[in-house]
This record gives sequence, structure tokens and C-alpha cells, in this order.
Amino acid sequence: MIQRSWKIGGIALLAYVFWTTFTVPLGPGLLEFRDRNEAASTDGITKRIETYELIGLGTHWTVQPEELRLFIRKGDQITPLPVIDVIDDTHAHAALLLPDTLPSKAWDVLINHPIDGTLFLQNGLFVEGFVVDESAQLPRPQFEERSADLPHHFPFQPRIFETIRNLMLHVPMWFTMFLLMGIAFVASIRQLSQSAGGSSLFDLRAEASVQVGMVFGVLGLLTGSLWARYTWGAWWVDDPQLNGALVTVLVYAGYLILRGSVEDERLKARLAAVYNLFAFVILTILLMVLPRFTESLHPGKGGNPGFNSYDLDSSLRAVFYPAVLGWMLLGTWMYRIRLQATRLNQKLHRLNDE
Amino acid sequence: MFHTLLQVNPIEGFFFGSGKSMVVGGVAVIIIVGLGLWMWRMEKRIQRLDETATRQTNSSNESAEA
Repeated sequence: MIQRSWKIGGIALLAYVFWTTFTVPLGPGLLEFRDRNEAASTDGITKRIETYELIGLGTHWTVQPEELRLFIRKGDQITPLPVIDVIDDTHAHAALLLPDTLPSKAWDVLINHPIDGTLFLQNGLFVEGFVVDESAQLPRPQFEERSADLPHHFPFQPRIFETIRNLMLHVPMWFTMFLLMGIAFVASIRQLSQSAGGSSLFDLRAEASVQVGMVFGVLGLLTGSLWARYTWGAWWVDDPQLNGALVTVLVYAGYLILRGSVEDERLKARLAAVYNLFAFVILTILLMVLPRFTESLHPGKGGNPGFNSYDLDSSLRAVFYPAVLGWMLLGTWMYRIRLQATRLNQKLHRLNDE
Repeated sequence: MFHTLLQVNPIEGFFFGSGKSMVVGGVAVIIIVGLGLWMWRMEKRIQRLDETATRQTNSSNESAEA
């Protein structure tokens, strides 16, 4: 019963993951806050008015347009900008009504709306023609972050947009590969701890586990490369995390080549087990340790919007965690089938020899 | 939203704005369930073959001993 339920559970989890990944809508976000190049009017010597266009994605500004509030923020300084006109759900015009002296040129843009909640565009406004004085203080308005009043949706990430869905495929592939290579590592240790004439069951386990792990590793590379082409505009970039992942897969390809190049079964088992120990150490260093000490373009690393504890909100977790578990269960099932098939193959060879 | 998304990225806008994402989601679910059924059948077949091979090995061992 347990044998059956975890397999059904794995497939059910993946069916849920695929369905939600492709059907849950992306949440609203801010795309741009741009100068319309139309000076509207001037308000004396200390004020200037320029109109700006605010562009959103998936926003609902025609619902309660009078409640749309616009702010700009730098550090702890925050100031409102008047919204002149709401054109449609995703376009609104605002006036850049600011004092001549500002504490900064670069500002984050924020909006508050009853449906969309608080949306944020980092460094969305760069003002020119103002006197910059870091000690200048702006009047502080009432500002309170609001949550969106929308059904289940994935969070909006600048530049990533809809490709955030790849998180449910790409990252669990590596987790599953890590699990399978871990199984191979333990099997290799047990193989080496046996006497020289011991059973080759652990060797078969290690081999089957690496074979299935390689499938997930290659799928991880493919999903990552496809995402990179779409988001960064290149299939591959010279990045420590990406290169580390590729080297890891190549190291395990070396394991399979090593196995194929040795005829003697006992020698093959021992050599492969020793190689596998080093391969797992390399995997851990290249995928888990090294990326934490280097700058990388990869999401989750410095300077790039990613899936850290802040970005991975509850809507993503509700799909991401089942995805990790589902892919791991599928990988373990594939490994078991591969092992059974290999053992059967050995039995049939022995029968043929007899 | 559809038009704005089309401006940002034509493929994404087309995919999610026209309801094709539902079709892709459905096809993906069918594929993963089909994969599960295929693996289930394959596992059963391997088990059956394994049992047959074990029986044959045992019988050949017995005849060799006799």
C-alpha cells in the first residue's frame, strides 16, 4: 500500500504543479515611469511640473481610480506625487510636483491601490534639473503598505515576468539530481566498505542512481539555458554558477565513461566507487559552496532579482515545495525501475551463460 | 493586460492572453499522468520477468545439483 501511495502521490503532486504553473496568473507590477516630455505648467519659482506616464502590468487602475496613490522613495524619505489621470487599467499620468532641492536624483516609485496593493519599481525615477542636497528633507506623508486584493497569483518580478514559472521545473531538477547523487554516494561508500569479493548490489545502486541523476542534471541545464535565452538573450553566459553546474554534469558523465571502459567487474565497482566519492564532493563544492562566494547573474544572487526568502512568497511556495517533493519522488521511482531493470539484465545474462 | 503584455513581450502576451496556457497546462498534466502509468506498467513487467528469471535460475541450479 505504501509502495503504491508514494508513487501515486508523486505523480499527483506533479500534475498539480504543472497545472498551477501554467494557469495561475502573474500578479500586477510596475513596468515603467517615464517622462512624457510635456511640460504642463509652472507653479512659481520653487516648483516645477512635468507629467510622467506610469505603466503597469496586470494592474486594475480603472477600479477605484481615485484610490490610486503614487509615491517616490529614497531611503527613509518618501513623498507623494499627484495622479492626474487614469487612462486605463495599466496607464496613468502623474505630475512631477517636487521642490527644487531634492536629497537624491534616483528614486524608487511606489503605488498604493486597493486591488493591486503596494507595487514597487526600483530606481524607477531619475530626475534632472533639480538641486541635489543630501540633507534636504521632504514632508512625510502617511504611507502604509497594502496587500493585493486578488485571487492566487505569482509575484511580479522585474525582468523575469512570466518566466518565474520556470522555478517549478528548473530548481527541483537540481534538487532531485542532488538527492540521486547522494544515494549514489552512500551506495559507493557501502560498496567500498565491503570485502573485495562482496556483492555488487551497491555498485548497481550507485550506477542506476547516477544514470537517473544525469537525466535530471541535463534537464536542469536545458531548462536553465532556455530560460537564459529568453531572459538574458543568450543560451549560455560565462557565469560561475552556470559553469559549475555544467562541470558537475560532465564529472558524472566521466563516471559513466569510466564504468564503460573497465571490463573486470570487481575492478570496475571499486574504481567507480572511488571516483563517485570525489564526484559528489565536487558536486557539493560547485553547486552548494562556490556560488555563495562569487558574484553571479543567476537569480537569487547579488544584484539580480531572484528567489531568495523575500521573493519566494507564499504563492510560489505553495507550488515550489510540492514541485520539489514531486520531482524527487519521480526521480526515486525512476531510479528503482532502473535498478530493477539492471538486476534483471544481469540475471538474464547469467541464465544465458549457463 | 493582454495588450500591455504584448508590448512587453509578444510571446508571453500571446501565450497567456489568449488562454493557450490552459491548453499547455492540460497537455502537461496528461503527459505526466501518462508517464506515471507507463512507469507503473513497466515496473510490473520487470517484476514479472524478474520472478520468471529467478524461477528459471532456481530450477537450473536444482537440475545441476541433481
